[in-house]
Amino acid sequence: MSSVTRKPLILGNKTYKDITDDICQPVEAAPGKKWFAMLLSAKMLFLFYILHIAYIIGVGMGLLGVNHPVAWGTMIITFVFWIGIGHAGTLISAILFLFRQKWRTSVARSAEAMTVFAVMTAGIFPLIHTGRPWLDFWLLPYPNQRGPLWVNFRSPLLWDVFAVSTYATVSSVFWFIGLIPDFATLRDRAKTKLRRMIYGALSLGWRGSARDWAHYEMLYLLLAGLSTPLVLSVHTIVSFDFAVSMLPGWHTTIFPPYFVAGAIFSGFGMVVTLLTLVRIGFPQFKDYITIDHMEVMNKIIMATGLMVGYAYCSEFFIAWYSGNPYEVYAFTNRAFGPYWWSYWIMFSCNVFIPQLFWFERFRRSIPVMFVVSIFVNIGMWFERFVITVTSLHRDFLPSNWGMYAWSWFDTAILFGSFGMFLTIFLLYLKFVPAIAIAEVKPVLFVGKKRPGHGGGH
Amino acid sequence: MRGAWKTNLCRRPTGCVRRPAAHIIPYAKAPKEITPGEPNYYTSAWYDGLEGAGTLVKTLEGRPIKLEGLAAHPMSLGGLSARAHAEILSLYDPDRLRGPVRNLLNKERTNKESVTTTFEEADGKIAEALKKGGVAIVSGTRPSPSLKAIIGDFSRAFGAKWVQYDTLPVEAVRLGQKASYGRAVLPRYRFELAKMVVSIDADFLGTLISPVEFSKQWSRRRTPGKDMGRLVSFESILSLTGMNADDRFRIRASQQLDVVLALIARVAKKGSLSIPAGVAQAAKAADGAFASLGLDEKLFDQVAAELAMARGESLVMAGGLPTLTDKQVELQIAVNALNSMLGNDGKTIDHDGAAYETLAGSPEALKALIAEMEAGKVKTLIIDELNLMYVLPSDSGFGEALKKVETVIYTGNRNDDTGSQAHWVLPAGSSLETWGDYEFQSGVFSIQQPTIMPLYQTRSLGELLLAWTQTSAQGSAKAKAAASWLEYVKATWKSDIQSKVELGRGQSFDDFWLAVLQTGVATTSVRRDRTGSARAFVGSVTYKPTVAEGYELVLYPTVQLADGRLANIAWLQELPDPVSKVVWDNYLAVSPAMARKEGLKAGDVVELTVSGKTVKAPVLVQPGLHDEVMGLAVGYGQKHAGKVADGLGVDAYQLSSFATGKPVFSGLKASFKKTSGRYELASTQDHHLMEGRKIVIEATNSAYQKDPSAGIHKHQIFTIWPQHQYTKHKWAMAVDLNSCTGCSACVIACQSENNVPTVGKKYVMQGREMHWIRIDRYYKGSPEAPEAVFMPMMCQHCENAPCETVCPVLATVHNDEGLNEMVYNRCVGTRYCSNNCPYKVRRFNWFNYMKKREEPLHMAYNPDVTVRPRGVMEKCTFCVQRIRRTTNKARDEKRPLKDGEIKPACAESCPSDSMVFGDLNDPNSRVSRMFQDKRSYKLLEELNAAPRIAYQTRIRNAVREEAPAHGQGHGGHGAVPAVKETSVSAKTAVEMTDMQHEGQLV
Repeated sequence: MSSVTRKPLILGNKTYKDITDDICQPVEAAPGKKWFAMLLSAKMLFLFYILHIAYIIGVGMGLLGVNHPVAWGTMIITFVFWIGIGHAGTLISAILFLFRQKWRTSVARSAEAMTVFAVMTAGIFPLIHTGRPWLDFWLLPYPNQRGPLWVNFRSPLLWDVFAVSTYATVSSVFWFIGLIPDFATLRDRAKTKLRRMIYGALSLGWRGSARDWAHYEMLYLLLAGLSTPLVLSVHTIVSFDFAVSMLPGWHTTIFPPYFVAGAIFSGFGMVVTLLTLVRIGFPQFKDYITIDHMEVMNKIIMATGLMVGYAYCSEFFIAWYSGNPYEVYAFTNRAFGPYWWSYWIMFSCNVFIPQLFWFERFRRSIPVMFVVSIFVNIGMWFERFVITVTSLHRDFLPSNWGMYAWSWFDTAILFGSFGMFLTIFLLYLKFVPAIAIAEVKPVLFVGKKRPGHGGGH
Repeated sequence: MRGAWKTNLCRRPTGCVRRPAAHIIPYAKAPKEITPGEPNYYTSAWYDGLEGAGTLVKTLEGRPIKLEGLAAHPMSLGGLSARAHAEILSLYDPDRLRGPVRNLLNKERTNKESVTTTFEEADGKIAEALKKGGVAIVSGTRPSPSLKAIIGDFSRAFGAKWVQYDTLPVEAVRLGQKASYGRAVLPRYRFELAKMVVSIDADFLGTLISPVEFSKQWSRRRTPGKDMGRLVSFESILSLTGMNADDRFRIRASQQLDVVLALIARVAKKGSLSIPAGVAQAAKAADGAFASLGLDEKLFDQVAAELAMARGESLVMAGGLPTLTDKQVELQIAVNALNSMLGNDGKTIDHDGAAYETLAGSPEALKALIAEMEAGKVKTLIIDELNLMYVLPSDSGFGEALKKVETVIYTGNRNDDTGSQAHWVLPAGSSLETWGDYEFQSGVFSIQQPTIMPLYQTRSLGELLLAWTQTSAQGSAKAKAAASWLEYVKATWKSDIQSKVELGRGQSFDDFWLAVLQTGVATTSVRRDRTGSARAFVGSVTYKPTVAEGYELVLYPTVQLADGRLANIAWLQELPDPVSKVVWDNYLAVSPAMARKEGLKAGDVVELTVSGKTVKAPVLVQPGLHDEVMGLAVGYGQKHAGKVADGLGVDAYQLSSFATGKPVFSGLKASFKKTSGRYELASTQDHHLMEGRKIVIEATNSAYQKDPSAGIHKHQIFTIWPQHQYTKHKWAMAVDLNSCTGCSACVIACQSENNVPTVGKKYVMQGREMHWIRIDRYYKGSPEAPEAVFMPMMCQHCENAPCETVCPVLATVHNDEGLNEMVYNRCVGTRYCSNNCPYKVRRFNWFNYMKKREEPLHMAYNPDVTVRPRGVMEKCTFCVQRIRRTTNKARDEKRPLKDGEIKPACAESCPSDSMVFGDLNDPNSRVSRMFQDKRSYKLLEELNAAPRIAYQTRIRNAVREEAPAHGQGHGGHGAVPAVKETSVSAKTAVEMTDMQHEGQLV
């Protein structure tokens, strides 16, 4: 019987020890100059970001381009952008886990890390985009002596507070639980007392006993189950910020699925961007994060890209079909109004460019996928720009129509947020095993002959 | 009567931002009329040298904070213009001089060094100068009995000469009256009696003579139906009046006379009337050359026929800067001839009753004075608050002549262009600080009652002249006896006025004086509603056809700045021009056709040359202008008016001509050269078309008579939710779009009442203006000759307010009286409410605007209204502070509220009574009745936000293609019917939108 043998998930003739050594090496070795150079640049960008945030908090929202009628701008756009990025991690670690997709093991750790850091980066924006950020805690329903005065449970912004904070909590816990066995490995290999203490504390007394593993796997399964609905709910609720309002261009029922598809699309885009870079930075990871892995993700990018493309077209159809002139105008204005360029950047980056992945050659080419993933990131930022700005800038009464007054601070906030994200991600690469050691070991022999066993897997 | 001013008590406005502790020092001896927190109202009068109004000044703890129109004053009738509201900021202007100043002028008068001085020192030095003789006073028109008396006394004492000059001259009207009827008079125009009004470049609703009074009168004719008044305007530029016209012709400014003469001929033909002998020849000739005017002949004939039908019930008016061509007097004579022919004289034109005492300035007299100055005959010149160096063009020779005057005294409030040429600058202070009196119209007397002690060392003209007269042996007994200027004013009223007016009969002077102060106005028994007799027309006009070639420049005053004397008031600079919606600048307005032809785009800088004088000005493409006419507003381009005004815009006065003593502001032959420069203009409205949406609903008068709901599409709205119950009150407002003229007085009234900040040009360009009420203006029709509609837009206080559901912290909520309330101290500033507001009426505090308000401007704050800190949303509250105060008062007095007792600031000042506020729970209230009116509709009703503002359709009294009757010609509910905009072809609308995108229209 000709066997439909899977391609191996891990290349090279690795032993279990090789795996441990390969993955622990970046954490244990002294960092290279390149890493330092990158960290320094990312940190400078992060400091630059903090400086501008401080200035905005100190002087006022007026420094940004937000105005009347466009009261939401770069901060909300970039918030939704980063939240969307986060989705790939949870999808890979939770949903693909439940579906027993074994290829996920190599990329799950970094994708999840990306999720947590993206949510952290995103989480800053709702806090600083308010007029009086020092009063943000009023958005939390806590017992108080003002009556008590509760929050408005009808407001989508409040749902957002719950959705994002739940997501941040669950994804952090999920990520951390997955790290425990690996932290224990690092602890056991530690050569200095400090390392042993730190990783010892982080590994929460893990001993690798069968009991430990039994509990661990049950907890991991439960958390995966808990995270799965969150993948769908978070961006659904973020989309409610728009969909629940009455603004033409926002008030559409397609938003929840459209946002989720877009989020997964952008998330995978960012995973591909980061992992191509990780492969360059740590060549030994090429055996774990193989071209096959990248190709699978590129397929998902293409599939979700087609979904958002469908959503873009469907929006136009529904606007026309509804007969609502405001709706019709909002969409015509998106594509052909003063912000036509942003619409076509979005459309090209998200719909046209990923079509390259129909070709296996491009799907498996690292330079092509890197460039495409960058375009996907750009396109998805512009998608949120299009939704937020072009809907607001021309709504019901033409007397209100205006333009977004993009300022230096918008630029600073947008690029600065990458400084924050990259700083944390670089630190992660240095201090945390970037591939789940405990998870790749079970898939070592997928597509290979297992030593001591007769046949295929 | 004077309010005491205690600095410490009112140092800080209330607000909710943490600020350093300030100490409140109580009165050692409290004035008995002052209860802290309770306003006192004093009657007074406002006059800015052009326009006058009776006012009611609201003071709190001795600090005037708001002006209202005096309901008892026959000219104000409760309305007040935007500029009058701004008087409050004028009082607290930080750039005002704080005391007399002596300028140390060298021979060339270029030395700018100045030293502060005292009135005592000035008095001594000036008394010596006055003894030398050759004294002259030049002032704006001073329609004040007491000032006239003291100037008389002063003139007798020192042999002084008095010349009056108006910065925006209306002398041509008086001269025309003299030539036509033998007596120079500025008649009272009576729009309420006119069924048909024809305006020849006369912006009577915006800037001409008495716009508030005219708006009040005209609004009474705007009730749709058989008797609805009709307004036709012939205009070179687009004015507020032209925007309100039912039909409008675009004419060259230089052809105004030709148009009127042709109209005379056509009216005579249609009505079989005889043309007065003096103009018959000219009319015939002009009619023969009708084709050269380029007007729609069919419509022109129709207007002529309508005028001929409305004999004794029509009014033809010309006046204002755009009519001051070199044929300005002939134009007035022709207009008078037409009015006489139509039997309007004595009926809609009141020439012998309450004619205007304002705007009596004589350019010829000023010209003669300049000649005397030049000849060295004037040794001492007193310039009373007139910035003549700014308003007179260089060809007047004033600047040179002034150097020949030994002693120049200037009473302006700042060391401006004229002040810096004066030896003594003795600031006159604000009208809110000094006593005065006025007779704006013959027999209409009012007192300017001060409401605060002078903030600085200032003296009004009356005080100065009284003091100086008393130093002379020749002073009158009255002047000698007067211990103060107030005494002198009282003496004048006792001797000259008490016996004339009805209020003065049968009571002692003291009682009379008190009664005048209480009512604010005293009138003679001449009945204002009577009609007079017609005068014999004796004028004559010779006609020479105007050669229509080249571009013409028309200078015009704007509603917000007029002649520019209030240019340092930020409120007015940031008040969108009612026509163009541009703020903080003037601009060269050109028509879209001219822009296309000459390759001009909005914001291009051009070099404009008029008879050798050149200025650089940015271009604005303004629909509605004649294609060979350019417009430029006066009042801008000042250099020494203060921190706010300096350097804004270009000085248009320099392009006018005064060489012959006849001021020419219009029909100036002009050429221009496009430069490579660009200059961005700030505008509060960037899109000017309704895009086929049902926003301002318009119908013709004939359609209205067939169906009062013409044009309105009622939506069937159902809900599964129970409605809120309002057991006490249910506040609402009705806005009649038909009477609203777009004058924008409400915007400033609201700004003054509600402590609304100004943000400056840069931030207006970024869309950050803070006005709680704005006047949306849309164009319809072709970009060349558009029709305009206005819509006051403020918080709609929606029943199902979209803003309320989305606020995460419940900072905006509904109260049990139906108001949509904004809780500033709960607001975190997510701005979601603004995004979800379909009307976009919410305003966000992007910065800490309060901090930027320079002292003592903070004294103008209304303590009843929270001053908003940075980071919170704000919006119209329906003046909830007024609602509370009035309901509390009614409760204290144990009586029900009266309908109309509560008036938000906008409604109170509205010169056309377009806004009605009241309680919908009272079925008989005016607002309830207006809500029931067939003409009422809710804006964006299909969204089911259920606004509490009902608009009433605008009715155009003109023959137009009819809009489809309501309920027909559209799809299902919830969808807005695609409405055919009457008289707009799809093509022109598209063209206009294209221009928008190309940036041709700002």
